[in-house]
Amino acid sequence: MYEAYALGALDAPERAALEAHLATGCATCAKAVAEARWLVSQLVYLAPEVSPSDMLKGRLLQTVRSEAKSSAGSAAAGVPYWLSAVIAALLLITVYSAWNAHQAKEELRASNERLTAHIQQERTVAQQKLAALEEQMAVMKRENAILIDPDSVKITLMPQKIEVPPLVAMCGPKGIVLTGQKVPMPAGDRVLQLWLIPKAPGAKPMPSMAVRPDENGWIRMVVTHAPASLGEIKALAITEEPASGSPQPTSAIRWVGAMS
Amino acid sequence: MFLAVIRPLDESGASPDAALVRLLLQNDVSAFETLYDKYSRIVYSLVLKIVQQSGPAEEVVQDVFLQLWRNSAQYDAARGPFVPWLMTLARNRALDTLRLKSERQRRLENQTDELYSVVVAPQYERELDEKRRAERVRSLVGELNPQQKRAIELAYFQGLSHTEISEELKEPLGTVKSWIRNGLIRLREGLRATT
Repeated sequence: MYEAYALGALDAPERAALEAHLATGCATCAKAVAEARWLVSQLVYLAPEVSPSDMLKGRLLQTVRSEAKSSAGSAAAGVPYWLSAVIAALLLITVYSAWNAHQAKEELRASNERLTAHIQQERTVAQQKLAALEEQMAVMKRENAILIDPDSVKITLMPQKIEVPPLVAMCGPKGIVLTGQKVPMPAGDRVLQLWLIPKAPGAKPMPSMAVRPDENGWIRMVVTHAPASLGEIKALAITEEPASGSPQPTSAIRWVGAMS
Repeated sequence: MFLAVIRPLDESGASPDAALVRLLLQNDVSAFETLYDKYSRIVYSLVLKIVQQSGPAEEVVQDVFLQLWRNSAQYDAARGPFVPWLMTLARNRALDTLRLKSERQRRLENQTDELYSVVVAPQYERELDEKRRAERVRSLVGELNPQQKRAIELAYFQGLSHTEISEELKEPLGTVKSWIRNGLIRLREGLRATT
């Protein structure tokens, strides 16, 4: 019966009965059937020997090579399609992330450059302010030195017009400090220029600093390069001059005070 | 004569055929070509004997080898030698072309099961080369009563059952069963005696 079963010759009822028995796990019958299958397989040699056409081999190899190539190409040597898709997605994400990181890096670099430029600008402004403050402090120090110098003398410069208040100057070896209030604003961009009037007969007035009153009418002038000898100066005078000052007076004296 | 020969097992215990089939899993075309060269002749002979026409026979052989290529994992060397497995595959495919659609459907499950069935070659057969085995099988079956041989061939090459063979040969069912059973036992004993 085992041989007939392996041959496929058993009718349905016999076949079902034997298979039901084999399903019980009978090792003896299972081995007998396995050997019977081998025996039946030997019947293939009863077929007359005939070779298939060469074209069949050619067609098969063409198909097989095409499928092998396609499989290697599309599935990356055995990698399934879905995994290729995942790899492609990861690659895309990686490229995007790299591009994103590059963009972020570029933005950060540009931001740093802007920040550095801003800091540099702020530092320049601060340095300028500091320099101005230092200059202002230096002027104040020089002004203070002049004011507290015992050799300095106070000079009152009287206005040529009665309605204009006088100016006050402290003159000494360290310089001249000139102050005033409610000073009329010169016309246009003209300035008030200080002149040192020599004692020597015929000597020309020596030009000094020029200022414009502030919006409150105040003026403050500190002259640190005073003449070598104040004893040779007989008076201080103020005239109105062009904006850049003038080497010699071009208008009438507005204020004047004699050295005492 | 068939060119296929039995080769000794390799160091891992697997036959050279099993090793070639494993290579198919890696899309090894040369392994496929080797298997084709070894077994296309015997497969074609079997299929042509069943379907009787060269055109359909080549189509079946093509299907068989493409199934081997695409589904080589179906072969499990632990369940038996490669050649009986390949012959079962080829025989089932060829018989399928002969059957009506309804009958094909009825037998489909059994055919699929056969591909996963255990096949054991008797110890006495393992050292017999393919050429000698073929000669011996033909000789032993040729010694049978012509009706007995015909009954076996109807079962193997046309897939007929005992009852169908009985009707075909117009012989009693019991006689047909005895012919087939005794004929296969004589074949088995004859092969055993050969070695």
